[in-house]
Amino acid sequence: MSISREEVLHVAKLAELQVTDAEAKALAGQLDGIVRFVDQLRGAEVPAGTPEFTVGPARVTLREDAVAPIPLDRSPERMAPDWQDGFYVVPRLAHQEGES
Amino acid sequence: MSAVKNIVDAVRTGRVTAKRVVERTEELLRTTAAKGLNAALEWSPEYLGREASRVASRGSRGALAAVPVAVKDNIATLDLPTTCASRILDGYISPFEATAVKRLRDAGAFAACKANMDEFAMGSSTEYSAFGRVLHPEFPDRVPGGSSGGSAALVAAGVVPVALGSETGGSVRQPASFCGVVGLKPTYGRVSRHGLVSFGSSLDCISIFGQSVDDTARVLHVISGHDPLDATSADLPPAEIRAPRTDLKGITLGLPDEYFPADLHPGVKAALDGAIAAAQVLGATIKRVSLTHAKYTVPTYYIVNPAEAAANLARYDGVRYGKRDGGSQVDLRGLYRASRGTGFGPEVRRRILVGTYVLSAGYADAYYHQAMKMRTLIHRDFTDAFDGGVDFLLTPTTPTPAFKAGEKTDDPVTMYLADIFVAGASLAGLPAISIPAGRDEGLPIGMQLIGPAMSEPAMLAVSAAFESALDARKEVRG
Amino acid sequence: MTWETVIGLEVHVQLKTRSKMFCGCSTNFGDAPNSNVCPVCLALPGALPVPNAEAIRLATLGSCALGCTVHGTSVFARKNYFYPDLPKGYQISQFDKPLATGGAVEIESPERGRVTIGVTRLHVEEDSGKSVHDRVPGKTAIDLNRAGVPLAEIVSEPDLRSPAEARAYLTAIKEILIAAGVSDCSMEEGSLRVDGNISVRRPGAPLGTKTEVKNVNSFSYIEKALEIERARQIAVLEAGGKVEQITQLYDSSTNTLRTMRSKEDSKDYRYFPDPDLPPLMLDAAWLEARRKELPELPSAKRLRFQERYGLPAYDAGVLVGAPALADHFESVVQAGADAKLAANWVMTEAMGAWNESGAIEVTAPRLAALIALVQGGTVSHQSAKKVYTMLRTSPDEPKVVAERLGLVQVGDTGQLEQWIDEVLAANPAEVARYKGGEQKLIGFFTGQVMKKSGGKADPKGVGPLLARRLGA
Repeated sequence: MSISREEVLHVAKLAELQVTDAEAKALAGQLDGIVRFVDQLRGAEVPAGTPEFTVGPARVTLREDAVAPIPLDRSPERMAPDWQDGFYVVPRLAHQEGES
Repeated sequence: MSAVKNIVDAVRTGRVTAKRVVERTEELLRTTAAKGLNAALEWSPEYLGREASRVASRGSRGALAAVPVAVKDNIATLDLPTTCASRILDGYISPFEATAVKRLRDAGAFAACKANMDEFAMGSSTEYSAFGRVLHPEFPDRVPGGSSGGSAALVAAGVVPVALGSETGGSVRQPASFCGVVGLKPTYGRVSRHGLVSFGSSLDCISIFGQSVDDTARVLHVISGHDPLDATSADLPPAEIRAPRTDLKGITLGLPDEYFPADLHPGVKAALDGAIAAAQVLGATIKRVSLTHAKYTVPTYYIVNPAEAAANLARYDGVRYGKRDGGSQVDLRGLYRASRGTGFGPEVRRRILVGTYVLSAGYADAYYHQAMKMRTLIHRDFTDAFDGGVDFLLTPTTPTPAFKAGEKTDDPVTMYLADIFVAGASLAGLPAISIPAGRDEGLPIGMQLIGPAMSEPAMLAVSAAFESALDARKEVRG
Repeated sequence: MTWETVIGLEVHVQLKTRSKMFCGCSTNFGDAPNSNVCPVCLALPGALPVPNAEAIRLATLGSCALGCTVHGTSVFARKNYFYPDLPKGYQISQFDKPLATGGAVEIESPERGRVTIGVTRLHVEEDSGKSVHDRVPGKTAIDLNRAGVPLAEIVSEPDLRSPAEARAYLTAIKEILIAAGVSDCSMEEGSLRVDGNISVRRPGAPLGTKTEVKNVNSFSYIEKALEIERARQIAVLEAGGKVEQITQLYDSSTNTLRTMRSKEDSKDYRYFPDPDLPPLMLDAAWLEARRKELPELPSAKRLRFQERYGLPAYDAGVLVGAPALADHFESVVQAGADAKLAANWVMTEAMGAWNESGAIEVTAPRLAALIALVQGGTVSHQSAKKVYTMLRTSPDEPKVVAERLGLVQVGDTGQLEQWIDEVLAANPAEVARYKGGEQKLIGFFTGQVMKKSGGKADPKGVGPLLARRLGA
C-alpha cells in the first residue's frame, strides 16, 4: 500500500488543509509509513459478527425541550475574526457552490 | 503524604492564608519560567491577584480550599486563554468554563495557570506545542512525556500539588511515568467532557496528576459525577474516596504476557520486578494472563484517534473564532485551507490527513470499521481477564524512561509506539493509573494498574499500598 | 415514442420544538441574527451535543403518521463536509441506522388516480445556519440562529411518475405532518424544504441517470422546475446525447434552471457514528404510546366522513383540508344537524367567516339550531344566511335574531290558506288556465302568495296547500 502524491492532495482537499506541492512529497512518505503501520489490522482475524465498539452509556439520555441556552461569557461578535451588522462575514463563496 | 490535604488543613486552621498560597504559587511559576521549563503557557500576576482575592473571600470552605491546580490548555477556562498549544487558537478565550474546572473552583481551588501540551493533545513528548517544547523538570535535555507534559512537569517541579490533564491514548499516565508523579485516567464517562476540547471523542478523558495517590483521589472526587451537558457522562455520583490500603491481601494482580516483552528496557523491568515483589510481600496473588489482541493496540489506536480527530478539528475554520489567515484570501476555500494549513502544526496535519483517509470512501471498511471491531476484541480481552478473577492488571506504563528531545520526532510511528502499554486501557474505556515505581540512572519509571470500569476507588486504595511500599526515589538496576 | 418519468423527493421539515436539536437555544424564527446561539451550536472548542426529547417524540409521531416502522435503536452519525454555515464542519444526522423506514403515502395522481408512494426513510438531524450572499458586497454573511434547529428528513422511493404527482405528494406530506402536529410545513417560513431527483427512461428500460433539482420554495415551483428538467432530459436523449449527473438550481424569477458547477469529487461524507451520542433507544411501550397519540390522519378522516356522514368525496376533501372546519362540522352534526346540510353550511358560511377572521364565531349548537330553523321552514335559506352573518357578532340564539330581523317565515296553515284564497280570487284567468292543463302556473301562484305575504310565507308550505286548493 503506497500513498501517492495525488492521494495526499485529494485527502487534503477533503480536509480543507493546504498542502503545497513541495510538502506533498514529504507528506506522502510520512503518511505512507503511518498507513503501512496501521495496515497490520487489515490482516487481523476478526470473528464475523463482532460488533463495533461503543463506550459510555448504553443509551442516550434526552434533554427536556426548554429554552435554556448555555450562557456565553463573551459575545459572538467579540470572538469573531470578521463581523458586520450582526453577521459573521467570510469571503464570497465561489459561484453556485455548496450545500443547501 | 498529601500535599492537597496539607494546604487545605493549613488554610482551615489559619496557619497559612489562602492569599499566601496564591502568592507562593506565583513565585514558583516565576522560578520555573526563569528556568525555561516552559510548562506554564498562560498565567499572569493580575489574574493571580484576582484569584487571590476570590479564594481569600471564600475562606476555608471546600474540599480543595485554596489548592492551586494547573489546567491543561485544552480544558476551557473563563479567565485564561485556551489555545490547545496551537496557533489556530492563539489568544482564544473561552466564553464558557469546563464542568471539571467549575467543580474545582466550587470546591475552593483555583487554576494556577494553563499548562503547555502537545498541540491538540496529539503527541507523546510535548515537543509538538506551537509555543515550544516543555523540558523534563529534572533532566532538561529530555522530554516530560505528552501530550500533558506541561501539567506533569508542574506537579513534578512542585509548582502545584495537582493538575488536570487529558488522555486520549495515555497522555497523562505516560508523562506521569516519565516525571515521577501519579497520573490517573478515570473510566471513560466518569468525568464530564463538557469544556474539554475534543480530539478523540470516544477516547478523551479529563485525567489527573498528583504528587501522591491521596491528592489524586481528592481531585477525582470533586470533578467526577454525572453532567447533563455531556451525553457520554456516566449516570453516577462523584467517585468516593476510600481509605488507603496498607496491604494487598485478597487482591489478585494479573500480569499480561504481552506487556512484559523479553526485550523490555532493563530499568523498566527492574522497577516492575520490584513492584511485583512488593505486591507479593503485601499479600497479593500474582497471576499471569494473556491479552490476545494486545499487538493490535497501537495500530487500532492510530486509526480510531485520527478519524475522530479529523472530524473534531473541522470546526477550526477561522469563521467564528480563532485565527484566520488574513486578507490575501479572496475565496472561501482558499481561506479555509490557508487558515488550517498554517494554523495547524505538522503532527496535527498528519493526523487529520490520516483520519480523513481512513474514513474515506473505499477505505473506511478496511480501516475505521475494522479498527472499531478490533476495539471490541481488545476490550473483551480486559473484561475476560477481570472476569477470570483478576482484580487489577499490573504492567509497565512506558517501554522506556523519558527519552531525549528530538529522539523520536523524525518518524511519527516511532513516537506512536511510546503508547504501547497505555493505549489499550484508552481503547477499552477502562480506568488506569501510573504511580512511581523506581528510577533508572535517575530517570523516573512508573508502574501501571488497569482496572474494571468504575473501579477507581478500589484502584486508588490499592495504589496507596504500592505507594507506601515502594521507595520511588530508590535506584533500581536490572 | 413515450418517455417514463421517475421522480424521488427529499423533504426536510423543521420539527415544532421550542429549543434546538442538541442545545437549549431558542428555535424562534425571525430573531436578530446570531442571537440564538450558544457554545454548542457555535461549535466552540469543548462544547457537546445533547439531544432534544421533544424532537424525538415529534419525529416518531411523524414516522408513524407516514406509516413507517420506527426502530427501537437508531444511531446518530456525523456527515462531514465544510461550509461556513455548518459550524462543526459536520452535521449530526443519521446514516445506516435511521429512526424509521418503510412507510407509504397515498396520493391522488392526475394521471394515474389513487396511487401509493413509498417512503424509504425518515431520520432526524440538525439544520445548518443561513448564508446570505452579497449582503456585504463580495462577501457572504452567516447567521447561525437556524444552526441546530431539529429537522426530519423524509426520503421518498422513486415512485413518482410526473411533476404533478410530485406536487400531490408534497401536499399529502404537508397535510399529514400538520395534522400530526409535527411541523408547520411552511415553505415560506422555511419549515419545509424539498429537493427533487428526476430521470427519464423508455418504459421497461432500466433507470436513467438522475439529476438533482434544488432551490424551489413553493409547491408550484417544484412542479414547474421538474417539468423543465424533464423536458430538457428528453431533448438531450432524443438528440442522441447523454444525461449528465448534475444539480440544477431553479430560478423562479425567470422560470429557468441553472446548472450548479459540478464538483470534481462526488460527495464523500465519510459518515461514522457520532461518538458524542450513545444510541437512541426507544422501548416498545413508548412507541406504542406514540402510535396511540397520533390524531386521526387526513386520509382516514376523509374516508370516515364519506362513510359515516354520507358525504361525497369532494365535500369530505374540502372539509378535511381545513382541520378546524372539519372539527366544527362534526360538532354541528353532533348538535343535531343533518350531515349534508351541515357540510354545506360549513363549507360555505363557516369557511367564509374563517377565511375572513381566522375564527369560528358561530358555535356549533347555534349553527345546528339555525339549520333546524331552515329545515322546519321557519326561515328561508336566503334569510338564514343573513341570520348567520348577524350571529357572527351577536351572542343571541338564531330564532331570536331571525325574529329581530323580521325574517321568520309564516308556516301557519290557516294564514297560508287565507293568502292562497286571496291570490286565487284575484287571478281567476290563471286559475282557469291551470285547471285547463297549464300546471306550471303553480309557480306563478306561489310567487303571488310570496308577494302578498311580503316574503314571509314559507314557500315549502305554500306548494302543497296550493296544489290541494286547485284541485286534483
